[in-house]
Amino acid sequence: MTPYLNRPANRHVNSLLWIFGFLGLLLLLDLVLPIANLFFTSNWTAASAALRQPEALQALKVSLRSSGIAILTMTLLGVPLGYLLARAKLPFQRFWIALVFLPMVVPDLAGGILLLRLFGPYGPIGHPFDARNIALTNNLFGIVLVQMFVSAPFVVASSLAGFSSVDSELESAAGTLGDSAWQVFCRVSLPLAWPGIFIGIILAWIRALGEFGATLVMAYNPHTLPVFLWVKFESEGLAGAQPIALCLVLLAVIAAGAAMNLNRFTGAADVLAPVGKATKWEN
Amino acid sequence: MRMMTSGRGFVDGTPLCRCVGRALAVLLVLLLVPKVGASTDAAVSVLYAGSLAAVMENGVGPAFVRATAISYQGEAQGSLGGARMIHDHLRSPDVYISADPLVNQKVLMGPENGNLVRWYMTVAASQLVLGYNPTSKFAAKFGDVRAGKLSWYELLETPGLRFGRGDPSIDPKGYRTLFLFDLAGKFYHRPEIPRLLGEPLNPAQVFPEVVLLARLESGEFDAGIFYKHEAVAHKLPFLTLPPEINLGDPRFAASYAQESYDTKTGEHVIGAPILFTITIPETVHRRAAALAFVKFLLSSDQLLTGFGFSTAAHKVGGDAAQVPQELCDFNTGAFQP
Repeated sequence: MTPYLNRPANRHVNSLLWIFGFLGLLLLLDLVLPIANLFFTSNWTAASAALRQPEALQALKVSLRSSGIAILTMTLLGVPLGYLLARAKLPFQRFWIALVFLPMVVPDLAGGILLLRLFGPYGPIGHPFDARNIALTNNLFGIVLVQMFVSAPFVVASSLAGFSSVDSELESAAGTLGDSAWQVFCRVSLPLAWPGIFIGIILAWIRALGEFGATLVMAYNPHTLPVFLWVKFESEGLAGAQPIALCLVLLAVIAAGAAMNLNRFTGAADVLAPVGKATKWEN
Repeated sequence: MRMMTSGRGFVDGTPLCRCVGRALAVLLVLLLVPKVGASTDAAVSVLYAGSLAAVMENGVGPAFVRATAISYQGEAQGSLGGARMIHDHLRSPDVYISADPLVNQKVLMGPENGNLVRWYMTVAASQLVLGYNPTSKFAAKFGDVRAGKLSWYELLETPGLRFGRGDPSIDPKGYRTLFLFDLAGKFYHRPEIPRLLGEPLNPAQVFPEVVLLARLESGEFDAGIFYKHEAVAHKLPFLTLPPEINLGDPRFAASYAQESYDTKTGEHVIGAPILFTITIPETVHRRAAALAFVKFLLSSDQLLTGFGFSTAAHKVGGDAAQVPQELCDFNTGAFQP
């Protein structure tokens, strides 16, 4: 200890890291222990048997399909919106940005009710469809609507942050070199912003996959994995629910792991990193 | 705390850091203090069947607090789900109220369930009714049924009418609705009545109980099968059904008992009058408060009828010798499920 005490600068850094490490560890306990406990206390043979039940597989299929559709749609619509909010000088800019974040603070159940009142068979949007025998709730479409409602903010927010971090001088330089606005977007802005956007997309996917409260109200059938988990919990208790919980956690772990690794390989960002501000996405 | 805010080793006390540190410390203390206070309070914790939510939170709970000055903490769970939570040690309530006497027996009683419950008492009865949305485009037809111009099952045959019911795999009301329609087919000699439901788990009709109520109230559904007390609590207009089929009259217990349903988990459920039961499970922490609550509920028939229940004789299921001394006065006989 004595050598450290003789060097004030070093001691300063160390105690800071120790205390921050301790504080971080406290938070990690709450985040990691329940998951670790689930892994250690689960009966894996029972879990794999439960997951091979046709209803469980069906729920898994519904969850993957709906979240897949939701993610593709959100990316196609959300990334351009993020760019617009970052680059266009819109009137009431802050208002539009706040609007995008709004679903994040709406409780799930309330979100489900809001959507149901709009898209339900007697809702202003649902009704004309219903008259043509097209249901917008209680089916895959309803699930996708809910998932987009709760997770699109992640895509738009990460796009907004990603595009804002791109040095606009790089974009104007590409413009003066003769690139059209489309070319600048595709060759400069998007590749530089992409690593951040990609993380936003993965977060949105995990959020969509785990959505429960609003889905329960908007589309009880067909069961997504979280709804099926609840049905199992209600009808069979812990023993029935645990395997499904395990499956959901595994899916999220796989998604998060894939995101960490894939991000290393995502495109031109690394090449351009030393020039633009994209460096901050590395590490 | 001193070290965080002003300790020299960590932060050399810039005004901003000090300010933020102090603010965080104050916030933490403010958030923690009321919690600590609450845990010393002897509130009675009551886990009850979901359909009772409005009755418990707006009626029984506040009335109990007024009468005894003991605080009350209620939690609504699916009737089966709540029992499973006690069984799996996820909840340890002082009092448990079930919407089906059998749930006690199957999930909580006996050595195979750790004898978590040894006795229960019937509190009140309810019946199934056909609730409807007064703003539905079919509202006039419901009026016709009231006036006797149309039968309720003919009304349900109306094309385009949206009808909902509970999920038989998670909710006793779900399979009770199946029994109701089967009984109606026999009672009216109209075998097509049960076919109005389609499959037992028909995805177009089946919803969790809270969701069904929300859907009906928000106008997304026209009609649904509910307990009478739910309709009363939610101020939903409803049509009553004959006692031969509404599962509300113990005189017809024998004919109810001819109905049965096999759940996906392999349980064989048999039709029976709808009875709510109360018990003090072995998970009780505040026995005196629990006893006070059970006593209060068993002597609140008037309050319960106001909420749409019918009175029921307080009979004891399970081991009558285990019923606490203080409650023995209420016991009017043995309950035979």
